[in-house]
Amino acid sequence: MRIKPRFLIGAGLIIAAIIYLIVLGIRSTSEYYLTVDEAVARQTGLMGQAVRVAGRVKAGSIRWDPAALALSFAIAPLPPQDGAKIEPISVHPPQEIQVVCKGQPKPDMFAAGRDVIVEGHLTAHNFVTADQVMTSCPSKYRAKKTG
Amino acid sequence: MTLIGQLALALALVLALYSIAANIYGMRRRRTDVLISARHALWAMAAMVALAACALWSGLLRSDFSLEYVASYSSTTLPTIYKITALWGGQQGSLLLWTLLLSLFTAIVAFQTRDRNAEIAPYVLIVMAGVAVFFLGMLNLVTRPFDAMMPAPAQGTDLNPLLQNYWMAIHPPSLYTGYVSTTVPFAFGCAALLSGRLDDGWIRSTRRWALFSWFFLTLGNMFGARWAYEVLGWGGYWAWDPVENAAFMPWLVMTAYLHSVMVQERKDMLKVWNLALIGLAFALTLFGTFITRSGVISSVHSFTQSGLGPYFLTFLLTVVVGYSGLLLSRLRELRSPAELESYLSREAAFLFNNLILVGIAFAVFWGTIFPVISEAVRGVKITVGPPFFNKVNGPLALALIFLMGVGPLIAWRRASRKNLVQNFAAPAVTGILTGLLAFAGGVHQWYVLTGLSLAAFVLGTVVVEFERGVLARGRMVHEKPPRALVNLVAKNNRRYGGYIVHIGVVFAFVAIIGSSFFKTEIKRSVREGQSFDVGPYRLVYLGLSPLDTPHLENLSARLSVMRKGRMVEVLEPAKLLYKRQQQPATKVAIRSTLAADLYVVLAGVDDKSGLVTFDVFLTPLVSWLWLGGLTMALGTVVTIWPNAREREAIAAAARRRIAELEREVAVEVRPT
Repeated sequence: MRIKPRFLIGAGLIIAAIIYLIVLGIRSTSEYYLTVDEAVARQTGLMGQAVRVAGRVKAGSIRWDPAALALSFAIAPLPPQDGAKIEPISVHPPQEIQVVCKGQPKPDMFAAGRDVIVEGHLTAHNFVTADQVMTSCPSKYRAKKTG
Repeated sequence: MTLIGQLALALALVLALYSIAANIYGMRRRRTDVLISARHALWAMAAMVALAACALWSGLLRSDFSLEYVASYSSTTLPTIYKITALWGGQQGSLLLWTLLLSLFTAIVAFQTRDRNAEIAPYVLIVMAGVAVFFLGMLNLVTRPFDAMMPAPAQGTDLNPLLQNYWMAIHPPSLYTGYVSTTVPFAFGCAALLSGRLDDGWIRSTRRWALFSWFFLTLGNMFGARWAYEVLGWGGYWAWDPVENAAFMPWLVMTAYLHSVMVQERKDMLKVWNLALIGLAFALTLFGTFITRSGVISSVHSFTQSGLGPYFLTFLLTVVVGYSGLLLSRLRELRSPAELESYLSREAAFLFNNLILVGIAFAVFWGTIFPVISEAVRGVKITVGPPFFNKVNGPLALALIFLMGVGPLIAWRRASRKNLVQNFAAPAVTGILTGLLAFAGGVHQWYVLTGLSLAAFVLGTVVVEFERGVLARGRMVHEKPPRALVNLVAKNNRRYGGYIVHIGVVFAFVAIIGSSFFKTEIKRSVREGQSFDVGPYRLVYLGLSPLDTPHLENLSARLSVMRKGRMVEVLEPAKLLYKRQQQPATKVAIRSTLAADLYVVLAGVDDKSGLVTFDVFLTPLVSWLWLGGLTMALGTVVTIWPNAREREAIAAAARRRIAELEREVAVEVRPT
């Protein structure tokens, strides 16, 4: 099919509009997806930014107030994945981040030692105020849909 | 059992390879007997894969934990129905299901082409067998469902509790059926390119397959959404998770394809575009499997990394590069003499609808892979969440709904002013009035107002069409309205089935607007006897009742739901603990009406204080999403229904082709 120039203008406008929406969407909604180490290392530049931090819930750090729906805990870096090379023991002190999440029920699978993704903002040194805490079972949890 | 399964899969691989070789040899040497043998090999391949699937099912049903797969995804206490569905509960099994469907479809296509499409059939079967070789290769060499577990454990680890749900029993097979059946039109497209028979024969021959695929993709997406709604307990049904996006993109592209092929059938235009779309749809089904199986994009739902990624990526790239090369090599022959004449034409409406659908698919694709790209380019992972997808796709959806009203009614080639007024005056007025009414009713978000107006506009166009058809039948064959309506749909099922699908889309769109803009959420911690209000309802917490079975612990809370002082229902949201995996899960209680869903989650039980926390959502119109999905499925069944006129057209085309071949033979024979 040959397309006359005036139709190319129409099609071009639609494509331009779609690209514009995508660029604008990325600008205004993107959030950094970090590991605990990365979040600690880059936090001065990211203060107040929307972030997602993946880490493992530290044993003994969980405090849960069911009446106020307030959950606070600390997350430590995830150990290297199976098959990844074993990293030398770090000379740095172990990194961790304090998390507070208010107004949300405690997720079902939330427990010490579980892997979580914390979504919120870096609000103070080594401190994330979370809007949402997402859990996943580290060992068995495969694709949620098998598709 | 292990041995039977393994042997069957190995044989199936050999048969698929043999069939490819026999088809090539048979075509080169013009040996009909070899081509027939190639076809028989595919039937045998399907039988072998079916045998392997039965072997695995048998292992699951007998709780044969000497099979690693059974030990990992089942247990003796698992209810029988979930033992059956555990076949697709893990990676090896879901690939086996995929291969099973693929080989069944291949066998059906081999049967359908035994006396039709003789010139392209060998190519079609080569492509389908080629895809089967990839999957069978994976099952034989990389991710083997019949690996043994030594020593066999006494008890299995059980199926993931989140998958122990009836929606999860039907969602993966539907989605996979939709995914895998795109292979058929794709294989015919390849065959058209390979053989050089570039007319619309490949489209006509696979129209039903494409609709079949779309039917199951629609249901698969809807069942998935329904599952997320009922099981995950967050009050929503769609989170733009990579896994969801992977299922959504092929649906979008197939939707575009189903529309643009009509333009080719009618006007002989968009040939390259159609071939590109079907290639894209097929590639997206592979991409979907790749991202859910590779762990490249960390979805909340698929943390596990598996070794399949590189294989899928290689296969995907081979398909994309090979197919693009093929398409480019035929580009000159695919030029069409026809051209677009006016913006105000159905061709133009379809072209723009296609651009928008593919645009949405692209936006979803970009948002899904953005973390990977940003990490590669800037060294830091940046994700975009639901706000991105909503922001980009919201406006595009409005444009799409608008075109959905315009496309079916506007004239082909060039619409006259008379055509426009006749068709669109009443629906446009309906749309505007709806918007004004909503505004007067207190709705002030521009998006909601525009969306509702457009929805009413589309419904108006559909009503106008039905009314016109019924009146015409009344005049011409003197039928009364109910009978005229039935005959109208029965005699023009392609067209009116399409309208029914559009009504379903409007339902779903209105549901999405209602549930996204007007959802309320309330979280409360209460003691026994205390109550709280949610919208028009008052919920009274009556107490906890525990239940213990060998398979799970069930702690449910009873809530009495009052409306206008009268009790209307007792809801029992629960917390479950699956014993085998020691994994808690949530059982949501829903009171569903057409106006709104009351959705109650038992969010927490604190033994110390006696406080019980509920998370309650009031979501308007969300039922219309499921109704819309079912309406779309119903409409698709109507368009797929056998139609005497269409069969006659295909037969006539076949006769013409035979006559043509006979003339060619006669010309060849004469000089001697």
